[in-house]
Amino acid sequence: MPYFDHSATTPVHPDVLELMAITQRDVYGNPSSVHAQGRKAKSIIEKARSQVAAAIGAKPDQIIFTSGGSESNNQVLRSVLNMNKKHIIATAIEHPAILNVLKSLEQFGLSHNCISVDPNGTMNFHEFENSIRDTTGLISVMLANNEVGTIQPVQEIVKTAKPKSIPVHTDAVQCLGKIPIDVDELGIDYLSLSAHKFYGPKGSGILYIRDKKFISALIIGGGQESGLRAGTENIALIAGIGLAAEIATADLSGRARNLTDLETQFKTGLKEFFPNAVFNGNNVHKLPGLINVSFPGFRSDILVAKLDRAGMAVSSGSACASGIVEPSDILKAMGVEDELNTSTLRISFGSTNTADETTDLLSAINSIITS
Amino acid sequence: MEHVIVGLSGGVDSAVAAALLVEQGYSAEGLFMKNWEEDSQYCTSEKDYKDALQVCDSLGIPLRSVNFSREYWDKVFKHFLDEYRAGRTPNPDILCNTEIKFKAFLDYAIELGADKIATGHYARILKSGELLKLARGTDQNKDQSYFLYGLNQEQLSRAFFPIGDWEKTTVRQKARELGFNNYYKKDSTGICFIGERHFKEFLQRYLPAQPGDIITQEGKPVGQHEGLMYYTMGQRQGLGIGGGHGTLEKPWYVLDKKMEKNILIVGQGHDHPDLYHRSLSCSHVHWITGKIPKSETLSAKIRYRAQDAPCRIETTAEQSVSVVFEKPQFAIAPGQSIVFYEHDICLGGAVIDSRWN
Repeated sequence: MPYFDHSATTPVHPDVLELMAITQRDVYGNPSSVHAQGRKAKSIIEKARSQVAAAIGAKPDQIIFTSGGSESNNQVLRSVLNMNKKHIIATAIEHPAILNVLKSLEQFGLSHNCISVDPNGTMNFHEFENSIRDTTGLISVMLANNEVGTIQPVQEIVKTAKPKSIPVHTDAVQCLGKIPIDVDELGIDYLSLSAHKFYGPKGSGILYIRDKKFISALIIGGGQESGLRAGTENIALIAGIGLAAEIATADLSGRARNLTDLETQFKTGLKEFFPNAVFNGNNVHKLPGLINVSFPGFRSDILVAKLDRAGMAVSSGSACASGIVEPSDILKAMGVEDELNTSTLRISFGSTNTADETTDLLSAINSIITS
Repeated sequence: MEHVIVGLSGGVDSAVAAALLVEQGYSAEGLFMKNWEEDSQYCTSEKDYKDALQVCDSLGIPLRSVNFSREYWDKVFKHFLDEYRAGRTPNPDILCNTEIKFKAFLDYAIELGADKIATGHYARILKSGELLKLARGTDQNKDQSYFLYGLNQEQLSRAFFPIGDWEKTTVRQKARELGFNNYYKKDSTGICFIGERHFKEFLQRYLPAQPGDIITQEGKPVGQHEGLMYYTMGQRQGLGIGGGHGTLEKPWYVLDKKMEKNILIVGQGHDHPDLYHRSLSCSHVHWITGKIPKSETLSAKIRYRAQDAPCRIETTAEQSVSVVFEKPQFAIAPGQSIVFYEHDICLGGAVIDSRWN
């Protein structure tokens, strides 16, 4: 069944699955134990750490393993509680794992500014510069947006922040395996990743930490992960994220090219029979293979349901826990009117999609909107 | 094969309705509907959704969700508030059927490719020549035809009530046999969007309350009311008047409201003559077959839980009628619906405007 919702999550790569199965079965030692089984477990974790570090140009000891992007984001933001400067800058289109954390931190005296975005979903840089205060203790800006794919000017943000000694965090959950990530080139201090977005397992993520002295633990207990994440390590999940990161970045330009080809095929094909389609987001500075497109006059939840019935998985806006499609806050922030907002689909291609599948998707959409 | 979309609330009735459709070989799909935006950012309809999902998973049918809270607000809730503001006692569940379940939901289902929609209502649809008739559910205690009197022929032709001839106890038993998690879930009570919340508190958030005097018919003040909208005809509970104010140790009842003077009129005893009226006038008349019935054996209910009472339609105009009952009726409340029956057939209904003797 063709799956076009890779920004939501990805299927696990077969090699990753196999490694995890073997690890789960054979490597039962506690990594903190000194005997052979323990050492074996430890070495698997450290190998995975090196793999992830290599995938983003970091040093292995700058990586800690977490349960995913949400935890990594929480850990960085909550660390500000222990800092002197208690103001945080983010954008209006961050993931809920940033925005809702910021809201919940207000009660503890942490204030924040959410920088608005332009109609393409790019952060307004002047507003950003003007919102920096003496008390700004952290800037957290996503590397690329999950719904429209617009890449944010993180490098420029760092250039502005560095002279003022403000650390910068980036939520890069959508990006690994789609665009190059180099923590030094970006200059960022903290970075979040989630394995299930790049063909790894769910429940597995990392936090890149340039300098550990500013970050505090969310989970306190044994001294695992340099004391920054207690609890006996989930060795299979960690092995999984390590290999997944390696595979996802192995032939990055080739992978990105495939995604771009599918994206171009879809956009061109759609325009042929539905010239009214509106593509949202930045055309140039964007993630390859992620398409956010509005179908004026059509309800997105109906389109999603009909495509689902035709065996095609796409997504629309953001769905709450009871599966109800709500207008997207991100499109709202970009100034998209409600009517167009609720006519919007997100199609996100992945490494297993083919040109034939894309053709099938186009003809399924065609028959739905012409019926 | 007919494609049927069944509205699933997470409750046991709609769950069994869905199961029966699947058993009968229909191509079925579930649709979960949200009509009310919760106060918190988290989705509290999640529990209901999970129950609905478990039902669909075990039946092997897909479940989709749709949000009609804007439609509900515009078409049902605004009217509900207007009625309370005017001192009347509306029944939003009736409007919810005509405006949401059998309009917005139906339209949506048709757009999704459905031929019909199904719900877990206790009511039946009978074919009589070219006409479709709405009949009471077989379970006399659960019969919900009262709430469905506003449906027209077109809506009935698209509707399906799979449990209309089931008893509630059998429905629960069936749900249990099928392994549905919700088989023991208690029946929803009251108005759906208010749920288990305190009614007064809820209404206060939308309508300013204006406290005033409670007096007897003789004009004797006996207490203070908190705002006329909180009281309905025949109400006994929550008046805050001790029996000591009266001459007899009988409970107090709401007899009437004087909106312009902001006065609540009360009287003692369930047999107080002013609690009973033989006649009423009503508007927004709707007949299910589209025609005024010429029945000699007409009866009507003046509220959901009232007994059917023999009556005749006295005068008829296009949109309003007068009704005379054989025997006086207890606590006829403006804003409530009067629903007409001929034996088991629900003929239609109207909204009560006034009553007299």
